[in-house]
Amino acid sequence: MSEGIPRKMALQNYFKGKGSRALPPEEVDIANLLEEYHPDYYEDTLVTLQTGPNKGERCHKDLAAILQADALIDDTDLAGAFVHETDLLVIGGGGAGCAAALAAAENGARVILSTKLRLGDSNTVMAEGGIQASIESGDTPMMHYEDTLKSGHFRGESRLIAALVMDGPEVIRWLIQKGMQFDQNPFGDLLTRRAGGTSHDRVVYCRDYTGLEMMRVLREAVRNGKTEVLEYSPVVELLTNETGHCAGAVIFSLDRAAYLLIKARSVIMATGGIGRLHLNGFPTSNHFGATADGLVLAYRLGARLKDIDSFQYHPTGMAYPASMAGSLITEGVRSAGAHLLNGLGNRFIDELKQRDCVTAAILRECAEGRGIVTDGGNRGVWLDTPTLERENPGILERRFPKLLQRGKICNIDPAGEPMLVYPTLHYQNGGVEIDENGSTTVPGLYAVGEVSGGIHGRNRIMGNALLEIICFGRRAGNKASETIHGRGHKKFTIEHTKNLSRELTNAGLSMEIKSPTLFPDYANFGIKQ
Amino acid sequence: MGDRDITVNINGKDITVPATMSAIQAVWHAGHPRVHGVGCLEGVCGACKVFVRRAGRSIITTELGCQTMVEDGMQIIFLVFPTPNHHTYQLDDFKNSWDTQAQFHQIFPEAAHCRHCGGCTKSCPVEIDVEHGVNLATEGKFREAGELFLECVMCGLCLTSCPEEITPNHVGLFCRRITAYFHIRPSNLINRLEEIRKGEYRIVEG
Ligand SMILES: Cc1cc2nc3c(=O)[nH]c(=O)nc-3n(C[C@H](O)[C@H](O)[C@H](O)COP(=O)(O)OP(=O)(O)OC[C@H]3O[C@@H](n4cnc5c(N)ncnc54)[C@H](O)[C@@H]3O)c2cc1C
Ligand code: SF4
Ligand code: SF4
Ligand code: FES
Repeated sequence: MSEGIPRKMALQNYFKGKGSRALPPEEVDIANLLEEYHPDYYEDTLVTLQTGPNKGERCHKDLAAILQADALIDDTDLAGAFVHETDLLVIGGGGAGCAAALAAAENGARVILSTKLRLGDSNTVMAEGGIQASIESGDTPMMHYEDTLKSGHFRGESRLIAALVMDGPEVIRWLIQKGMQFDQNPFGDLLTRRAGGTSHDRVVYCRDYTGLEMMRVLREAVRNGKTEVLEYSPVVELLTNETGHCAGAVIFSLDRAAYLLIKARSVIMATGGIGRLHLNGFPTSNHFGATADGLVLAYRLGARLKDIDSFQYHPTGMAYPASMAGSLITEGVRSAGAHLLNGLGNRFIDELKQRDCVTAAILRECAEGRGIVTDGGNRGVWLDTPTLERENPGILERRFPKLLQRGKICNIDPAGEPMLVYPTLHYQNGGVEIDENGSTTVPGLYAVGEVSGGIHGRNRIMGNALLEIICFGRRAGNKASETIHGRGHKKFTIEHTKNLSRELTNAGLSMEIKSPTLFPDYANFGIKQ
Repeated sequence: MGDRDITVNINGKDITVPATMSAIQAVWHAGHPRVHGVGCLEGVCGACKVFVRRAGRSIITTELGCQTMVEDGMQIIFLVFPTPNHHTYQLDDFKNSWDTQAQFHQIFPEAAHCRHCGGCTKSCPVEIDVEHGVNLATEGKFREAGELFLECVMCGLCLTSCPEEITPNHVGLFCRRITAYFHIRPSNLINRLEEIRKGEYRIVEG
């Protein structure tokens, strides 16, 4: 581990006002900064996939290990399993899954929503900063489109982004009609804040509890509707019919310790992200269930993935105290004007550049010895919350109550002392390839939300994820409910897992590893224990 | 804050762990399996309810296990139980905001029977004045009541401690939802929706 400035000394520097708070010169060579310091470019972390639809493409090695792994179950596990039948199976109880279930149920479809933990235990409930929608008079959907494309380094799919930005205002209206509150000015207009790397204030929010507010409302709406919810019910495999069409899933009920077969006309995958795989040894901001299960299950069934070598490391995860490592401090704090300072007290990057650049710059400061080191060996830089509060008295309490609450628990007053921050594994930029309705390349299988890919290219801007989950969740829910009147499937099998074993053997890959992962290993829990 | 080891009792088992851990981290560190009652790990999902008794103290508090740092001699019990709600309603059934108060009392008839026992407020791990919120709702002050529940993580502890089966957290959420449903009408959003409806914006792809 590289040298740095001890936390106590750095605090003294800070309080003495050492260093320069002037905006540092513009980064001239962003590509070089990213290549040298962004974790996506770490040497030896990428491998070439040897099986499946993305064979021959580059992928992070930890993800590759579970994409090219054997199934958790075989036919013998299914003997005597309980069987349920429904029109539509939604997998995952975050925002995307709930939006899909609500839309489909409103169209009269019978819906089962199956989720690994409880309904709402998800990344959605944790979102802080807000949700994008171009609603201000100087802003346009076209500007939103361009910002999204540019921040993703022009790798996003234009058709998907066009759908996203044009749906934005309607999504906000839908959420309000479901009972979600947003912060308003005294005349009732929605307040907006600016996301890093964008050209206009466009993020609407509910203090720094946007995700909590959204999830509470969606959960209550689902619970009050006709959808049947199965909790503590992780999906461990998908089912196919006689022609390779997705036809349901196998669930392992944690409460009953038994397998459940759900036969469905179509399936919407909404299992969220990957943070709990702790790629490259990073801490994560993600909830406990974010283990890339959806990617694994869809890939196995033949769905193409996109941009699976690109992940978002959010610049400001907490780095002190150690028990909180990885916990997110919203970009909203920088958007409101808080600066980042290194151990010498100098600013080192425009804090509102896009996230991958800010992250790379923080990692550069730490690598070159200007970072701050704690007694426990954690590293980071300062997020200058005291100056923000001094220049805007009361702003922390008005806009960031969650930050203050967090401070209380770890005995740090963000108004009096800067917060130590370090990048945290935050978001899966790519995912399952989809079209404007969330359809994947496998018939009958949809993917929505963080598990899907194509919108964010290689870098996501704040607020586009919450917009995506509602926009595409509803689209897929609507599309899938069109199919409920056709003829049902004849066969329901896990045949494809046998082909998988064959393919793995042929490629000389290990059959030791089983996936999906379901839970991080530090939880000491496996379904076959 | 050092890496001093301490001993805590979790679900009846003594475990020795570094003092810098949360209750959930401590269980895992000791090698015990735990997935029930774990969610966001950040204090917002309400999955990780625990009873806590600190060394030398007789009172038991209810807290969130991911936000509770272990201390020497602490006793912790994980509370994993469902918190069923027995009220249902559809916002779409509310046609006129003048009738909200009457409809509220039809949906939540128990709310008016609050005994002011304070049980809900005492049990709330995020220190919401739950009882006051319920009473404001009963008086029809929905916007004010809802605001009190901004930080509610829906853990359901208030619900399980209410002798009148009032489900205070769902009352609070109702107040927030009905306020949005009837009263959030932002002109900036509505203008933009109108412009889009008239076809004033197109995306030029490429
Ligand atoms: C701390 C934090 C702050 C954020 N802030 C913002 C923000 O301000 N703005 C913004 O736009 N975005 C933000 N994001 C990103 C955004 O919240 C997420 O990308 C988005 O909510 C993902 O929604 P989802 O429904 O796709 O996935 P999730 O909400 O994660 O839901 C996935 C669900 O699937 C379940 N699941 C997983 N595997 C299985 C399985 N095998 N079987 C059954 N169920 C399974 C999970 O348990 C979970 O309930 C933030 C993310 C985090 C972590
Ligand atoms: S109000 Fe009730 S449900 Fe909400 S956090 Fe407090 S105790 Fe939990
Ligand atoms: S617990 Fe129930 S009865 Fe007691 S104060 Fe709270 S709402 Fe009223
Ligand atoms: S795990 Fe979500 S509140 Fe503790």
